[in-house]
Amino acid sequence: MLPEKITREMFDKLVSLAALELDEEENEYLRTELNHQLAAVKELSEIPIDEDVQPSLHGIECQGNPPRKDEWQPFPDPDAILALAPEREGRYFVVPEIAHLSEEGQ
Amino acid sequence: MMTQYEIVVGLETHIQLNTKTKIFCSCKADSWGAEPNTNICPVCSGLPGVLPVLNAEAVQKAALLAAAMHAEINPVSYFDRKNYFYPDLPKGYQITQFDEPIGKGGYLDVHMPDGSTRRVHIHKLHLEEDAGKTKIEAGKRLVDFNRCGVPLVEMVTEPELHSGEEAAQYLTELRQLLRWIGVSEADMERGHLRCDANVSIREAGSTVLNTKTEIKNMNSIESVRQAITLEAQRQIAAVEAGEHVESYTLDWDADTGTLRKMRSKETEADYRYFREPDLLPVKLSEEEIARIQSSLPELPYTRKMRFIAEYQLSPYDADILTSERSLSDYFEKAVRLSSAAPKTVSNWMMNDLLRLMNDLGKSAAELRLRPAELAEIIDMVESGKISPATGKTLLKKVEESGQKPAEIVAAEGLGLIGDEDALRSQIAAVLSESPGEVAAFKAGKESLLGWFVGQVMRRTGGKADPKRTRELLLEMLKK
Amino acid sequence: MNTTSISALEIARRVRAGELSALQVLEDHLAQVAAVDGTPGQLDPPALDAREEQKVHAFIQVTADLARQQAEQVEAKVARSEDPGPLAGVPVSIKDIFCVQGTTTTAGSRILYNFRPPYTATTVARLEQAGALILGKTNLDEFTYGSSSESSAFQPHPNNPWNTQHVTGGSSGGSAAAVAAHETPLSLGTDTGGSIRQPSAFCGVVGLKPTYGRTSRYGLIAFGSSLDCPGPLARNVSDAALMLQVLAGADPKDSTSATQPVPDYLAALAEGVRGLRIGISPDYDHIAYPDTETGEMGIQAIQPEMNQAVREVAQVLASLGAEIIENVPMPNARHGIPTYFVISRVEAASNLHRFDGVKYGYRTQKPVQDLTELYRVTRAEGFGLQPKLRILMGMYVSAAAHSAHYYQKALRVRSLIRADFEQAFDPTGPYRLDVLLTPTTPTTAFRRKEVLGDSVLMQYSDQMTVGANHAGIPAISIPAGLDPQGLPIGVQFFGNDFREDLILRVAYTYEQATQNAAWRQEIPQALRAAEVK
Repeated sequence: MLPEKITREMFDKLVSLAALELDEEENEYLRTELNHQLAAVKELSEIPIDEDVQPSLHGIECQGNPPRKDEWQPFPDPDAILALAPEREGRYFVVPEIAHLSEEGQ
Repeated sequence: MMTQYEIVVGLETHIQLNTKTKIFCSCKADSWGAEPNTNICPVCSGLPGVLPVLNAEAVQKAALLAAAMHAEINPVSYFDRKNYFYPDLPKGYQITQFDEPIGKGGYLDVHMPDGSTRRVHIHKLHLEEDAGKTKIEAGKRLVDFNRCGVPLVEMVTEPELHSGEEAAQYLTELRQLLRWIGVSEADMERGHLRCDANVSIREAGSTVLNTKTEIKNMNSIESVRQAITLEAQRQIAAVEAGEHVESYTLDWDADTGTLRKMRSKETEADYRYFREPDLLPVKLSEEEIARIQSSLPELPYTRKMRFIAEYQLSPYDADILTSERSLSDYFEKAVRLSSAAPKTVSNWMMNDLLRLMNDLGKSAAELRLRPAELAEIIDMVESGKISPATGKTLLKKVEESGQKPAEIVAAEGLGLIGDEDALRSQIAAVLSESPGEVAAFKAGKESLLGWFVGQVMRRTGGKADPKRTRELLLEMLKK
Repeated sequence: MNTTSISALEIARRVRAGELSALQVLEDHLAQVAAVDGTPGQLDPPALDAREEQKVHAFIQVTADLARQQAEQVEAKVARSEDPGPLAGVPVSIKDIFCVQGTTTTAGSRILYNFRPPYTATTVARLEQAGALILGKTNLDEFTYGSSSESSAFQPHPNNPWNTQHVTGGSSGGSAAAVAAHETPLSLGTDTGGSIRQPSAFCGVVGLKPTYGRTSRYGLIAFGSSLDCPGPLARNVSDAALMLQVLAGADPKDSTSATQPVPDYLAALAEGVRGLRIGISPDYDHIAYPDTETGEMGIQAIQPEMNQAVREVAQVLASLGAEIIENVPMPNARHGIPTYFVISRVEAASNLHRFDGVKYGYRTQKPVQDLTELYRVTRAEGFGLQPKLRILMGMYVSAAAHSAHYYQKALRVRSLIRADFEQAFDPTGPYRLDVLLTPTTPTTAFRRKEVLGDSVLMQYSDQMTVGANHAGIPAISIPAGLDPQGLPIGVQFFGNDFREDLILRVAYTYEQATQNAAWRQEIPQALRAAEVK
């Protein structure tokens, strides 16, 4: 069974999974709002629904293009993509070291 | 008494499909040798607002592989998002197939050297996009997105392999199959075929699955063989020493031939899979599925067995000649076109053609010397038009010049001298030059006949028809 | 005379005929922006004086240079007597959620404050090809997450031209305000739960949400990928039809874009409503609203003028030969918002994963220990409260442990919501509707800061509109009067799949029949202020 409310502990775990961090004020506000939203969606579980009702992905059944042909069309300006990077080294995007990988061998 | 242990291995393989372009955008699929971040576009580098568009060829190749693995091809499969943060995953989710993959079930029969066969079941075969690459340089982690969006098929086996040897054999036959049906270059060194292994041990006869470790970074079949063997020994030693096997991820170091513990696995991450709303379901009609299944060529093992039965080849020869599809096609064409026995054609290929291919570094498909020419050469030798030695040199000449064997024989006068008068005059010359030997022969030293034949051969540069020469020599010496 | 008060259709006609200079049209509209818009939205806004409080603030960025180049191209084509396109010389503003090469595309978020996309959204590219002048990027709720446009990281946020103390609605609030304040006759917006129709209603303009897939999503920074729909905002129905004509059609870059042929929307407008069956539903004259502590659903009345407007519109259409079908049941309409709370959040959380400070946009300046910290600090600083809230909600309801209970269930309830519409439009069913007529919103534009922060109440202002997004069907909101405070009232027509032609036709018929209504003669406060200066 689902918890009635999201506790501070559950919430903090969620925040870290979401790759976020919050100050106290944000934490209070967002946890309250999240619990309000969960209250608002509570009725979903009470809606009686027949077994044969399928999930709907787009509302309407999309009649899109067929999959594309396997033809090479290079993007004219890959450097423009690289140029957007906050940190670059030569032709690479740069990120700080990854904690768990730096533990290699221990 | 000593406990007997059984090794339990499951393989997770990633197969890079050899399409021209990536799975969801029109960048080249293969970035081998390309500068980092040159083969990218807004779609595969995860820019905001852009959308994936499925490559039809990736679906076709994945379905063909499913058919070759005896898997059920799903008439409607779906793409899902696998959400996690990692710098080589520019969208923050991987587009993959979760609960409705393109292939369901299936198996590969692995044929062990001892003649036994092991059926290894696949519990899932699905399409997904590859991630990019990261590497450490001067304390910085550098990210290259060239590989992002390369089409992969992931196949996970049941834990039904029981040694490094079996795992290696599985991969050898899988690699052969992938190349045979033309869906992947299957080059492990280049990462076209990747393999992680889950290894555990249990008491022989038991059916429990004990804690397993996962081995990564094995980029050759030999590495897989060694790494699994080594890890199984380590686990046995640990258990013998009364320790528990912990759930590690191990990194194979091919240079030192050792396994390095990376980290204890945290509890399985929650990827929060859900249907990819940017893509439509992948639909394959009954007709399409039937077409794909019927387009599947005769598979290597079946063909090998047929070669043995139909052409009376030795298992060894049959094995070599079916090692690669174009080679086995080449053999069968040559057999059909030649009036010689299949075994003779096989000998020519095993002894001479393979050497030629080796020297030139060409596959059978790449040779200019087509099966028709090989058959022609074999037939000329068999019918005595040319000598076996000439035949062998002809292979090379045809391959180099691209000319027809008959033309070369005519042009260079390589044909054997069967003409009686021509032979008689050559023989007469030999006899008149060697009165001593003639006398000796007439005195009863008939063993000299071979020497006379040799002399005629020397005079004719090996073109004298040996049979006729022998007959005429006897006739002329006896009178 | 000033071209800011004539329709897009008329501007294009005259420019194409060489009677009017595209550059002149552009300068008129730039002057209007200068007169009414005030300080554009920015990350670190200056203190605003009383006069700025009276301004519209529709724009984050005015792209005058880009628009001038386009105007010159149009004039060159006219001079060479080449076809300059159906929108020749028509200034268009673009919600700043669309990628446009050569502009900064912020989504109203700090995390994209400097993002300049090397590609252009398909819908915008079609506008450019049609001869439109891209005049600027309009402000919006951050990542479109809101119904008031107050949550933008770029302040000041847009104000309602009819009363700048009230909100424009959202998330396409800047677009609705720009059209209402005659800054551009057309604007390109997006509608995920009502983000075109609700601000159109609040600002007294026409807003159309097409059938899902009718307009391409390529280049639209995604919110709810299964719900998002680009669409037109315009001052009148024929201008909306004209713009939709340009936007609609399959796009090889969007797998979900529809391949159905696009009809001639303008041609169908004048065919009238005689014999059309127009439905009214008792399930749309109130809203179901949850107690945010207990989750108990209660019935809440909506502003009486809304239902009044629906009845008046029905009477007008009936007098023109339409058949009004009362009591069409839409029993699952009440589930629209709870279902939306789940589906849109799951998709949004995933769509926001890519913003991590590695590839583009904002990256924290603080020193960080490792990659995880870079992600957390960058996202903490780069996202405002509303994106954070959507990420957390989306991750919670799609977690493996909860997905069946929330997400999977919501997808099936979505089918029920769709089924209501299918029954209503079923040509062999009991109702056989051509369109369903409802209020667009439960209330007229609320006061600034009145709802901001109450994420549930804010979401419920989409209760009347969100059904079309779940069902994937088209819907249009048009002005139908003013409330006692002088704030616009909007009514909405839902249509069946790909029947944009029908809802436009009904809307046009009503619009033409009420041209002389007193309320249509009223002018938004922001325009009066501009005139008196």
